[in-house]
Amino acid sequence: MRELFSGPPDLRGRPRQDRMLSSVMAAVVGYENALTAVDRMLRAKVPGEVDLVDEDLRLVIAEVRVEAEDVVSLRLSSPDGEALPRWQPGCHVDVTLPSGKRRQYSLNGDVRDRYGYRIAVRRIDGGLGGSVEMHTLTEGTPIRVSRPRNAFALINLEKYLFLAGGIGITPILPMVRAAERIGADWKLVYTGRSRSSMPFLRELLDINESKVDIRADDEVGMSTGRELLEHSAPGTHVYCCGPIPMIDAVRAEIRETGRNPLHYERFSPAPVLNGKPFEVQLARSGRTIQVGAEQTVLDAVLPEVPAQQYSCKQGFCRTCKVRVLAGEVDHRDGSLTARERETEMTLCVSRAAGDRLVLDI
Amino acid sequence: MTAIEPTSVALHARDVQFDWSKTPVHWVPDEPELAHFYNVMHLLLPELELWFVQVFTDALPYITDAKVREDVLGFIGQENMHANAHQGALDLLAANGIDPEPYTSQVHHLLQGWIDRTRKMKPKRRKQSLLNQIAVIAAGEHFTAVLGDFALNSPAFDEVGTDPVMSDLLRWHGAEEVEHRSVAFDLFRHLDGRYPMQVVSMLAVIPALWMLWHRGARMLLEADPTLTPKQRKLTLRKFRRWHRRGLLPNAKIYLPQLTHYLKGDYHPSHYGSTTQAIAYLATSPAAKAGQQ
Repeated sequence: MRELFSGPPDLRGRPRQDRMLSSVMAAVVGYENALTAVDRMLRAKVPGEVDLVDEDLRLVIAEVRVEAEDVVSLRLSSPDGEALPRWQPGCHVDVTLPSGKRRQYSLNGDVRDRYGYRIAVRRIDGGLGGSVEMHTLTEGTPIRVSRPRNAFALINLEKYLFLAGGIGITPILPMVRAAERIGADWKLVYTGRSRSSMPFLRELLDINESKVDIRADDEVGMSTGRELLEHSAPGTHVYCCGPIPMIDAVRAEIRETGRNPLHYERFSPAPVLNGKPFEVQLARSGRTIQVGAEQTVLDAVLPEVPAQQYSCKQGFCRTCKVRVLAGEVDHRDGSLTARERETEMTLCVSRAAGDRLVLDI
Repeated sequence: MTAIEPTSVALHARDVQFDWSKTPVHWVPDEPELAHFYNVMHLLLPELELWFVQVFTDALPYITDAKVREDVLGFIGQENMHANAHQGALDLLAANGIDPEPYTSQVHHLLQGWIDRTRKMKPKRRKQSLLNQIAVIAAGEHFTAVLGDFALNSPAFDEVGTDPVMSDLLRWHGAEEVEHRSVAFDLFRHLDGRYPMQVVSMLAVIPALWMLWHRGARMLLEADPTLTPKQRKLTLRKFRRWHRRGLLPNAKIYLPQLTHYLKGDYHPSHYGSTTQAIAYLATSPAAKAGQQ
């Protein structure tokens, strides 16, 4: 306890212990002792370290529907017909596939439907296999789903412009429904390769046909950022979800005009910027893999270690955090603490600062 | 017509970039003393935030609920960013001949001393000590959310011509405080923090924060070589003027908030608007500049 009181000098530089500081420190110790005593009277024991409770929902696939070319929707519900946890527009769930792969999907059903979550998946051949596997699932298959969480929250406004590209309609659809319900002044611009590839057209038109602008590439050509934003009043908040070129076009246009606040969600990760190739040694298997200049460590690791956990692929969810055994790291995440960075890295965005890393996987 | 208000947001740190090259150290026109009263935040908050991060990181093994854990991790990311962001403003003070080190080293010594003391304890005592600190942090976070709400709703700053970069720092920080206002309290409750502790910790936090803040302000005013002796004094008259001009939250804002916190059914989500916070974060120049 003594070392607690041998602190820095007082504020005016006089060569004695700062009296105010000493008294505050004494107060801290007093506060602790008092609280501990009060708390002891209130309860018998303080529980110690614990394991995280697994809170995933055990659901079954209740319905599979083809929504467009290469797009199916799955309705997930409780096997005993129980109500599911509530959610809000913008929410997604982590789905654990039978193979153990974990993927995030936006909930795109109706928030008022308490008995089913609907997600939609576009099949991407030559991807990492998650979407192909999702397309093989049939009604009655049990499936593990996390509780809904909201990384793309819809806020309460009088006016909205919604921009969706292809399967990017999934988080936007419940937002559109909510905006219509509160009587907001909204507009949706929905783009895609062709109408037959765009899911939920009928559902959107049924919500409010006059506010939905469908722009299929094969009818009007690829829409530019300017075209997507042309009817927005200055200051209207824009909610955008779609492929990277679309989001980039919208961001570039908004950066130039400065007219609209933008909320967006990528459903594929941002490209690697200024990356150099390097080598990663996987300590547990002893194998060495090469990471390309435009590849993430995660993408290089996954074929070797399919069970590797990951989630947001944008450096903030920390799911893919691993221990670094050797090598300097170029940390590009926004989520690890300084102390964690000394020994750990996120696989999804961070890279080697030199040409080699040894990781504890 | 119903409204939409996000009840739960997956927190994540936002990258920000502040350009301090044009900001004067007296960034409220004609009110250098008020600027310094606010400048205390660049000295005090990073020390507090880095302490929060340590306490919350140490508390992780005790969390059983996946959502609380995720919120705590998001909170840690945001608080780290806040501490970094104030560094630029701290450099601005140093460039103007004000050495904040004597003050920051005292605060650091106090807070680091507390968590280091906890780390040496036996497991049972350690958890209790962490909970004591979390109670203090939850009470402190109530004030930062109130201050954040004030920053988001104070047009007076723009009307008097406050430096736009500093206003943005205040409001960006304030908006994230509003956004994550429930995390510390939820953690306190999750670790079985009880009502008497909620009251005691708040009653301890008020004089401690008041003392730390005023000490910091007096230190800055004394250290600023450009001020006159009259300017170096914090008088009641000055506070009244700042309250009247809407540049500083007054007792009418604090007292009701204090009584809310002391009620048994208090929850941070009942106060402040997540919609307003997220709307500001979508327009903040520093947050926009930080998006790669």
